[in-house]
Amino acid sequence: MIPERTGHRPPRARRLRNPVAGALAALTVLVATACTSGAPALAPGTNSIRNVPVKEGGSLVIGAEQEPDCADWISTCAGSIWGSYLMQAQTIPQVFTVVQRGKDWVPVPSSLMAGTPTTEVADGRQTITYTLNPAAVWSDGQPITSADLKYTALQIRDGKDIFTQTGYDLIDTIATPDARTAILTLKSPYANWRQLFGAEYGVLPAHLLEGKDRNEVMKNGYGFSGGPWKIASWIRGTSVTLVPNERYWGPKPHLNKVTFQFTTDTAAEFQAFASGQLDALYPTPQLDVLSQINSLGGSADMQVETRTGNLQALWMNNAAFPFDSKAVREAFAYSIDRAAIVRKLFGSLGVTAPAQSFLSPLVSAFAAEDFAVYQRDLTRVGQIMTAAGWAKNGDGIWAKDGRAAQFTIVSLAGNQSRELTEQILQSQLRQAGFKMTIKNTSAANLFGKVAPAGDFQLGLWNLTDTFPEPTLDASFGSGSIPSDANGNSGINFVRANVPGLDALLGRVGSDVDEASRLEASRRSEKLLAESVPSLPLGAVPNILLTGKKVGGPISINPVQGPFWNLAEWGLAK
Amino acid sequence: MLRYTLRRLAYSLPVLVIASYILFWAVRATFDPLAKLRQSTDPGAVRRQTELLGLDRSVPEQYLLWMKAFVTGDWGTSTRTSGSVMPMIGSALEVTLQLMFWGVLFAAVIALAIGIYSAARQYSAGDYVLTGLSYVGIAMPAFWLGLVLIQVLAVWPRQQFGLSEPPLYFVGLHSVGESGINLDYFRHLALPVVTLTIGLVASWSRFSRASMLEALGSDYVRTARAKGVPRRRILFRHALRNALAPFVTVVALDAAVLVGGLVVTEQIYAIPGMGRLFLSSILAGDVFVLIPWMLVVAVAVIAFNLLADVAYALLDPRVALR
Repeated sequence: MIPERTGHRPPRARRLRNPVAGALAALTVLVATACTSGAPALAPGTNSIRNVPVKEGGSLVIGAEQEPDCADWISTCAGSIWGSYLMQAQTIPQVFTVVQRGKDWVPVPSSLMAGTPTTEVADGRQTITYTLNPAAVWSDGQPITSADLKYTALQIRDGKDIFTQTGYDLIDTIATPDARTAILTLKSPYANWRQLFGAEYGVLPAHLLEGKDRNEVMKNGYGFSGGPWKIASWIRGTSVTLVPNERYWGPKPHLNKVTFQFTTDTAAEFQAFASGQLDALYPTPQLDVLSQINSLGGSADMQVETRTGNLQALWMNNAAFPFDSKAVREAFAYSIDRAAIVRKLFGSLGVTAPAQSFLSPLVSAFAAEDFAVYQRDLTRVGQIMTAAGWAKNGDGIWAKDGRAAQFTIVSLAGNQSRELTEQILQSQLRQAGFKMTIKNTSAANLFGKVAPAGDFQLGLWNLTDTFPEPTLDASFGSGSIPSDANGNSGINFVRANVPGLDALLGRVGSDVDEASRLEASRRSEKLLAESVPSLPLGAVPNILLTGKKVGGPISINPVQGPFWNLAEWGLAK
Repeated sequence: MLRYTLRRLAYSLPVLVIASYILFWAVRATFDPLAKLRQSTDPGAVRRQTELLGLDRSVPEQYLLWMKAFVTGDWGTSTRTSGSVMPMIGSALEVTLQLMFWGVLFAAVIALAIGIYSAARQYSAGDYVLTGLSYVGIAMPAFWLGLVLIQVLAVWPRQQFGLSEPPLYFVGLHSVGESGINLDYFRHLALPVVTLTIGLVASWSRFSRASMLEALGSDYVRTARAKGVPRRRILFRHALRNALAPFVTVVALDAAVLVGGLVVTEQIYAIPGMGRLFLSSILAGDVFVLIPWMLVVAVAVIAFNLLADVAYALLDPRVALR
């Protein structure tokens, strides 16, 4: 699990908005609402799949809010979630894909595989066997082989400029007994093994990249593909164009061409959609965006996915006053009406209940509901604080040993929904006897300096899960507290050190027995709720807007993005 | 004039070096090139990249390394895209210069025409209307004006008249699959150029009016009138030529600022120019793009200043460049 979405993949910090964009967005609401009326088709929050029959041929132009920095998906210059949506998901084959089963998202083998990869643990080492689909070929007709898996794994494990080596750093050996079989041996068990060659990286063609400078070949776009589309062009600052990969072994795309046009300004993006220059949009679900969606009238269809990997939470610094006291953290949790905040933010999109776990809906299979005990109850707040030796001062604020329970919250400056959340919190907390001030900052400062240094009391930011596997050890394991020992690179920014939690989270991360892992996850959730090191607020939904021209089964995949099944899109009949 | 030009360039060098160091230091102190790795679950990611980018060295040391490579023609590599900086700036500059060319051309002609008209008919109804409009133009921020123009000239006509596509485009400089200078290009260029032109005309027309009024009130114009020189000749031969010199100076200086100053316009219209390059680079803490970017803008300012001086000397024979 990774905090925040501001534009990058593991830190899926999707869009770093600038003040200009904020002002523009607000203005567009005024301008656009003055000229149109009505609301897009399909009620928000329904999560239903719009499936309009399509015809063969034609092209679409889709707005992209962000331009990827580069297309070498395993290097540090990549990491843009939009890069993954636009090019990686369309051209790079992955071992596992993610589908919804009931209310849960689960990883399943992709069409690249001949069957489900198998794994076993012996003598403390884990072995994973992959068997590739013989029909799987690259766009030049060469088969996708075990050599490709080996090349990819070793590039990531041994490379220097690598975005994340998590999981791959455990690789001991990778054997390729034949072209269709790869056997990966890990030095120690890794429960998230399905993520290898999956969500983040996929598989690269060894026959085209071996012995070459991979970054040089790939960074500006590449000609090969192992997916339904090929990159026809990437004009920096302007657009990415995809055309069908004629050799793709699965269903071929209906469209002849799809262009992603970079429209980094949200307000102008909506106007381009309204004027027909763009056929689809995937906007960040900000407050202003919701107003703009209403201004589109009946000219658009809207898909809303509420079971996403994005979770908004309140982060209490367990090493800073007053949240170094468990009683204060508990009282704080009982002071807040989380349901009211969630309804205010995303109620119109169907998110009406607060999150009761730090595992996002994407990882709901491992989640429990232990945080449900924290409902707003001011009587309980009084009891907890009084029992811990606090008393209200003349201003009605809890105080102890001459120090009042006042603190500062930090979040991203210019983010309207965060600012609204802070204002509601301020009001609710004041009634409960806490005084909160707001001091927001930039994402770079917050995640580059403030949070790693622990220089905050209360924070408001998102966690993003990128695969349906729990990784709470990164956020709450004591080994992830930024320190000299880990090069100040851990992301347990709240300095949580809950007795017994490390062992449980360790099991969640390494136990390949699913039942045992699930049990450990549920117990860790219970422990987290009891010690309440922080407080989950609610899931952040994703929105996809399509014009009437667009057909096909349109829905959002929280891992592979809104264009995960672009091959099935087409011009509506 | 060559000696004057070389001397001006030589004087500018220390300024460029000092400014580039200040920018380098400021970006390093303010923005974090590793921001996207700070939240990674991979504990080694930050450490690896710190070593790779040399961020563990002191800022003066990093700057000297960059400068050493720069003076040998190596503009460096972007930490954001892994791409070479020179082509990135080159292509952004080419786009911005297109916008600037059309914007400055239209704005200069229109502003001059308004200035002449207003000065010739000072305190007339037309003068009051144009003065009022120029104040409105000055007061309108580009982000607001741009969106209003999009709504009024592109979105609304399409909706109102049931057109299959808007009469003017506002995303980029070409439609998908189009390139070169053609109708599609001008349909894309129109709105950003109008946005730019309105802002420039608003301020430049005030200046041209003031210059013309000053020239029309001078002794040589009074003498010409006394000698019976026709009004049109006085206006265009005597007053305009003298008023042009300060006007051209202002145009040149303002145009220089536009090389790096079209951030908002380029952002609204999704035009990949110098302004947008600056914005994306600064948000990513990409100092290796920002420093050459700043130097290119600084060189443009120096060049346009020189151009202004030369134009002044050409327009006013009393001025000699030494």
